[in-house]
Amino acid sequence: MEVLKQFLEYLLTPSTEVFIIGALIIFLLPVIVHFYIVQTTPYTSLPSILLVGPPAAGKTSLLTLLERGDSAAATHTSQIPQSVELTVSDDHGATTFREAARIDAPGSHRKFLLVDTPGHGKLRNQHAMTHIASNTLRGIVYMVDAASLDDGLADAASFLYDVLLALQKRTGAGKTSKAPTAIHVLIAANKLDLFTALPASLVRSNLEAELGRIRQSRSKGLLDSGVGVDDIGSEEQDDWLGQYGSEKFSFGQMREFDIEVDVIGGSVLDGKVDKWWDWISDRI
Amino acid sequence: MLDTFEILTTSGVVLWSRTYAPVNPSVINNFISDVFIEEKGAVAGARNSQPAASNPLYKADQHTLKWTFVKELGVIFVAVYRSLLHLSWIDKLVDNLKTIFIDLYGDQLKKPNTTIVECRKFDEYFDQQYRELESSGSLNTARPAAIAFLSEENAIQDDTGDEPPLPPGLKHRGKAQNNSQERPSTAESTPNTSRPSTPSGNHLVVAKGGPMGKMSRRARKIKNNSAPVSSGDEAPARKTKKAPKKGRKWDADGFADEEDDSLQLDYSAVHNTLTSDSEIDVVARSTAGEGVDSSSWGTKTSKGQFVLKDLDDEVHSILESAEAKNASKTETKGGLVGSGLSTISSLFRNVVGGKTLTKEDLDKAMKGMEDHLLRKNVAREAAIRLCEGVEKELLGVKTGSFESIDARIAKAMEASLTKMLTPTSSLDLLREIDSVIKPPATSMRKPRPYVISIVGVNGVGKSTNLSKICYFLLQNKYKVLIAAGDTFRSGAVEQLKVHVRNLKELTEREGGRVEIFEKGYGGDAATVAKDAVREAANEGFDVVLIDTAGRRHNDQRLMSSLEKFAKFAQPDKILMVGEALVGTDSVAQARNFNSSFGPGRTLDGFIISKCDTVGDMVGTLVSIVHATNVPVLFVGVGQHYSDIRNFSVKWAVEKLLSNS
Ligand SMILES: Nc1nc2c(ncn2[C@@H]2O[C@H](COP(=O)(O)OP(=O)(O)OP(=O)(O)O)[C@@H](O)[C@H]2O)c(=O)[nH]1
Ligand SMILES: [Mg+2]
Repeated sequence: MEVLKQFLEYLLTPSTEVFIIGALIIFLLPVIVHFYIVQTTPYTSLPSILLVGPPAAGKTSLLTLLERGDSAAATHTSQIPQSVELTVSDDHGATTFREAARIDAPGSHRKFLLVDTPGHGKLRNQHAMTHIASNTLRGIVYMVDAASLDDGLADAASFLYDVLLALQKRTGAGKTSKAPTAIHVLIAANKLDLFTALPASLVRSNLEAELGRIRQSRSKGLLDSGVGVDDIGSEEQDDWLGQYGSEKFSFGQMREFDIEVDVIGGSVLDGKVDKWWDWISDRI
Repeated sequence: MLDTFEILTTSGVVLWSRTYAPVNPSVINNFISDVFIEEKGAVAGARNSQPAASNPLYKADQHTLKWTFVKELGVIFVAVYRSLLHLSWIDKLVDNLKTIFIDLYGDQLKKPNTTIVECRKFDEYFDQQYRELESSGSLNTARPAAIAFLSEENAIQDDTGDEPPLPPGLKHRGKAQNNSQERPSTAESTPNTSRPSTPSGNHLVVAKGGPMGKMSRRARKIKNNSAPVSSGDEAPARKTKKAPKKGRKWDADGFADEEDDSLQLDYSAVHNTLTSDSEIDVVARSTAGEGVDSSSWGTKTSKGQFVLKDLDDEVHSILESAEAKNASKTETKGGLVGSGLSTISSLFRNVVGGKTLTKEDLDKAMKGMEDHLLRKNVAREAAIRLCEGVEKELLGVKTGSFESIDARIAKAMEASLTKMLTPTSSLDLLREIDSVIKPPATSMRKPRPYVISIVGVNGVGKSTNLSKICYFLLQNKYKVLIAAGDTFRSGAVEQLKVHVRNLKELTEREGGRVEIFEKGYGGDAATVAKDAVREAANEGFDVVLIDTAGRRHNDQRLMSSLEKFAKFAQPDKILMVGEALVGTDSVAQARNFNSSFGPGRTLDGFIISKCDTVGDMVGTLVSIVHATNVPVLFVGVGQHYSDIRNFSVKWAVEKLLSNS
């Protein structure tokens, strides 16, 4: 008790030490809190490439192939997104992903995150949309299974429609404030090793045709719940993908919104992914 | 014996696998989407690291899957074997391998931004466990055949009794206990055989359900028959084996009971005893193994595999220490809490975030969330399950900077709700109709009319919603035939005729065409529907909308006619109309309707009417989707023909989480 009393007395008498300690606390505490927060928040400023697409397109396979460099791991349905840190080289020291995957690859490097997302219908929109909103995003690889595009066309196209529309809205919103970096889309036609697979050019035309039909039917579809009658006029233009009122859809129309769409074929199984890798390298 | 064993992450990468006979990858893919993503089947919702024995079996045509899951590391362990086999040691194999794998590679699994886990050495551990458990299992092959048969029966049951109601701890508690009391007489000849049969016994109870009543009675009969037989010729042997075990089981019970919460006391007590039992078993055997080396490990050492011996020791010490850790965790709980420093730092973290969430933190906040959901008219069952899911997900998670616990919970709840309400495949009705009435030239299908039928209880607005959909189709210039399938209630046909007349007037300019197909009263609805579809095909209609008689969901006679109806009319979509109103038993209705179309056919979606009258209290939507796994497609928002909307998940989730 006695000690406490003395201590209190000491604290309350204005002396140099007390002032100095007090001042130190006042000035240092914010700094400490700042560093504490900076240290605990995850390091997110690496540029990222998003990997999306319908189920079983080969997204996770591509991710593991690029990470391991030699061959892809076996995979099953994904439930959560998975990001992987990869390196591209600045000065063409390592031209292929195989070299880049080695730790001692020559040249100088830049790191980026490749983010794989689940393709299951219940999960994909949620994850894809949060990543599209992120400002570290540099590009989107939309993967489709070119061998099953006959059956899977409607599904593949409707998800692609959602993704492109989200990108279009993002650019649209950016026009008023600072313009976000343009985000390009690579449509990776996978599984070209199978003989039933369609070549990239056919994948392109099929998707364009289907996107056009979806655009048509969505414009005529029912309103979403929660959309009032008053919003109808203003909302309309927003949900139209590409050039407004145009008859046919083509990926070229997305240029209006600073979105380039490329369609490139390849095969994860055969390791023929160099063109995709080049595309990714250009984005970083 | 085993077909394949895989260790995979929730992100979909197979970390390690061993294949004895190739299994189609779709088996495991379907398993993942059914159990983890769509959470079909009641108990599915992946419970964290509970032993494989208490996870329900998953069956896929010829295969049975046994699995366990470690949530915080996102790793799934799954063993696949032929359903014909009865592998008594499989649960233990899965559990032990889980313990070993986590112990060896847990650190690697925690690394962010990589999918590589160096685990090639796991081969040896797997081989060791496989050999050890298989040899211990083969000692028991002289099991009474009746048991194998019995659990086969259970399994069939489990397979077909689709989507049993949630695990209502209270409801089946009594029965589960019965089972476990019965068990000793049938199956407890050795500890190993008793384990797999107990959970399937539990499952039998969970899977009880209307249409399978017959089957389960049969199963029960067999069980009853088999009990006296097996106990007759095994009794003396069992007695001697059980006597020394009794003592150990006692302590296990002791601390198992302490930490149980009251609600599920019996249920979890059964499991707890089993786990600790099994683990103690391991301990016992490993200590025994050192002393009496020649008895059970003799074969191995005689082949001169000295390396294996070391591995054995290592494996056993891993399993032992995991067991010890488990035990100490339950004992020293609560000792540290309350010291001043940690309280202050936790307060600090509460404000700036970065706090690791514990059970106590969550419990209170989750109660608030549960009440909130109940206020929004979500059924208790669904609210509890949602909250449990979120709590499990958040346990041990760190909050972000300046993020309060409540905000974190709201975020997780939003994600859960979105996942639950989002349909597996989204519906673009017009697009789908087009692809049926004008199939692409490359697909060899013939054009045919698209058939939608509407079902529901009396007075929910079936005809009104049917007319709304019709109006929408007419606006898009489709030719629609409305079939009056309500041949039961007088005035139903006339009511439809009025609607058709109105619709004709309203859409004259738009260019659609609508007619009614009716055969008066008293006829068989299924036949009327079938004729309507044929007529539509002949007359060049695009869409057939079939109205059906409203029926009470507990009216057996009328409900059973739905199966014939589905078979005759072959609808592309069966939609059920439900009400958003408070106080209706929508959930029971939805469940009964969903299971009344015969095997392999369920509802395709719901139309929820009267959504404009409930404001933010849209909880009924959640309860219905939770109970049936069938998505809500449309919502009715008013009295006019145009007052029907596509169901927007975002809209519903916002309403559910809004504070007002
Ligand atoms: N023939 C062939 N098969 C491939 C190729 N790429 C991937 N696959 C196979 O396709 C299947 C699905 O691959 P995943 O990578 O799991 O697909 P995903 O896109 O991640 O699927 P979700 O996670 O469900 O969205 C696997 O069985 C792969 O082996 C390829 O180039 N050729
Ligand atoms: Mg995947």
